[in-house]
Amino acid sequence: MQVFNAFLKVMRSKMSSGIIYIVIFLVIAVIMTNSAKTDATKVFEGRKIGVVVYDDDNTEESRALKEYIGKRQDLKELERDADLIKDTIYMNWNAEIHYVMAIKKGYAEKLRSGDYNDLFENYHMHDSYENVMMEQLLTEYLNTVGAYQAGGIALSEAISRTESVLSAETEVTIRNYDENAADHDMSPLFDDYFRYLPYILLSVLIEVLCPVLLTMNKKIIRYRTDCSSVRPTSYMLQIILGSALFVVCIWLIFMIAGTAFFGMFRGRAWLTLLNSFLFAMVAVSLSVLIASFHPGELVVNLLAQILGLGMSFLCGIFVPMEWLSESVAAAAKFLPAYWYIQANDLICGKQAFDGHRILVCMLIEAAFAVVFTLASMVIRRYEAGKAAAA
Amino acid sequence: MFLHNLKYELCCSLRVKDLIIWLILFPMFLGTVFKIAFGSIYEKVDSFSAIPAAVVEVQEDPALHQVLDSLTEGEDALLDVQYVSADEADALLRDDKVKGILHADGRLSLSVTDEGFEQTMLRTFAEQYNANRTVITDCAMNDPAAVPAVVESLRAEWKPVTDLPLSDGNPNYMVVYFTNLLAMVAMYGSITGLHITIQNQGNLSKLGARKCCSPTPKSISLCASLLGSMLVQSVCMVIAVSFLHFILKIDFGSRLGMVYLTSVVGGILGLAFGFWIGSIGRFQTGTKTGICFCVSMFCCFCSGLMVGNMKMIIARFAPWFNKINPAALITDSLYYLNIDSDYSRWSGAMITMAVMTVVLILLGFIISRRKKYASL
Repeated sequence: MQVFNAFLKVMRSKMSSGIIYIVIFLVIAVIMTNSAKTDATKVFEGRKIGVVVYDDDNTEESRALKEYIGKRQDLKELERDADLIKDTIYMNWNAEIHYVMAIKKGYAEKLRSGDYNDLFENYHMHDSYENVMMEQLLTEYLNTVGAYQAGGIALSEAISRTESVLSAETEVTIRNYDENAADHDMSPLFDDYFRYLPYILLSVLIEVLCPVLLTMNKKIIRYRTDCSSVRPTSYMLQIILGSALFVVCIWLIFMIAGTAFFGMFRGRAWLTLLNSFLFAMVAVSLSVLIASFHPGELVVNLLAQILGLGMSFLCGIFVPMEWLSESVAAAAKFLPAYWYIQANDLICGKQAFDGHRILVCMLIEAAFAVVFTLASMVIRRYEAGKAAAA
Repeated sequence: MFLHNLKYELCCSLRVKDLIIWLILFPMFLGTVFKIAFGSIYEKVDSFSAIPAAVVEVQEDPALHQVLDSLTEGEDALLDVQYVSADEADALLRDDKVKGILHADGRLSLSVTDEGFEQTMLRTFAEQYNANRTVITDCAMNDPAAVPAVVESLRAEWKPVTDLPLSDGNPNYMVVYFTNLLAMVAMYGSITGLHITIQNQGNLSKLGARKCCSPTPKSISLCASLLGSMLVQSVCMVIAVSFLHFILKIDFGSRLGMVYLTSVVGGILGLAFGFWIGSIGRFQTGTKTGICFCVSMFCCFCSGLMVGNMKMIIARFAPWFNKINPAALITDSLYYLNIDSDYSRWSGAMITMAVMTVVLILLGFIISRRKKYASL
């Protein structure tokens, strides 16, 4: 087993970048697991946004409105500085404040006179759902107050009745079309964990396995091995054994970590295991194919980045498929990560569970692995033929 | 002698594959991927479009039709409704063709599959509709003669909110990823800066040792290397900005000339950063390169290359760090150029970058000034 031992020795020297990838991925997974909320509520609570209200009117009526907004949304405080407001709204992505408004001076007077135009100022950066939602909320409030006033009810009473009538519950039912959801225990985090796995598998396997195969295939080493007493079949088998051991170890590390984060796999979760194993096979066959072209270490690094990031962005790993354009989605079908994500979505409940579609996705993944392997075998045979002819 | 060294520095730079790959080709690739991935997010996720909903009427409700018609007309339509049977509505919701089903049975109730913005807005609509019916009933009990006025009031269309535009720049926050990409190219310049010190330092490389023996004063050799690298780095920055703006059509705002200037200054800051790191200690080249890459990527991570709002998160816990993080300074300057109408904040960030560049280069010179060794 000298070749096998040499293979492992070379692998140990090339493992550092792979270890960095694995550690970072697992650390992020730990942080996400600890910060995740586990309460899976089935009562519709609606989306609340962070709202800042500057009350320039400072009357009983404006305070009542601010209080009403506070009941429906999350009221936040923010210093009234133009640059700060600008920065806060521009970066509203996942931030706490989405809408900044001012109740203009004279609000109460205009309310009393029945003129509901130009009562508020919205610090506006771009059109968004938050803007429309808040305008809808304010219009709803004013329309109701106005209707009560038109019905001959005094303003203070109209405000009080408005709050009461708008807080009456409207029946909202959340439907779950995933009939077998109870059979498995897959939190959104479980889905995320397996969603990001292809990026890590591609990066680690290409970054580590390619340089090892390249080292083993260096002319100077290969010629020495060829003239040694080790039979070519034995040589190949030892290389395959070493590669398989490495891939299985890497895959097992992620599966064991997955068990540690989310508990023992059960029900449909086993399918994600199979799906990830198939993708590991795709990644390893792709690494072998890349190594067949004898690229330099710099090119290997670049290819690892291009294939890892490229597939992640185009196939729905980093950005959900529904956010991508149709042409990108159509092109993504020619990449194995697309089928992995499709299968993962079907298994984890992002799409309605469909065993037949999952099988098709997995078969396509397997087909990619076979095609990559066959392609690398053809290249090797071609090179061997060329060497013999020379 | 200075020009001779400068010429060879430029010639050498053109032959370094790492430079071409990591400072020119890789940003092009990443920019293209960002464009493909984020190109339509702003329109699809953040920009408002009419909410698709199914309406199932248990009993015909002309008032509801009237209200819905008013909300589905025009460019600013709130809803996009289909009147269908219960089974059809169920199929539409299952296939995510509609965001919710409004059941009209005297009062409105709602069925959804999720708790997003669209679903919350559908709930608000249902609440408003149900509240209107209650208001009319309340007012009819109070004063039946006032009901027409109440109905009229409910139909009135007000414009209570006036928008105060905050900026004339490009409001698409996905631009943040592209400014971060430029910051990454600038920070990768640190590798170029690192090699200047290593290749001029007798105890760090064989080339440095040979240079120490040469009659050229070290200050001239270093200055020529620095200037040559700055020129190459500036060209890389110009290529990156041009590719993003002219090929990928990324809108950095209306002051493109200033964007070029900011990127070039950012690139020189990245180079100075590497020059300073290279001068510290006697670590192996590989170790220093590793440190440089790690620090650069950490700075880029903190400025939002991987997670768009990371800078905002850091601003909450350690605002001082954003003031000294070179990548954050570069992205901030580009952001100010896009969003602000004046140059006050941009000038502040540019002065900070310039001061940091000068300090780092001076420190690099001071630390690596030695040129005589007892033994190498």
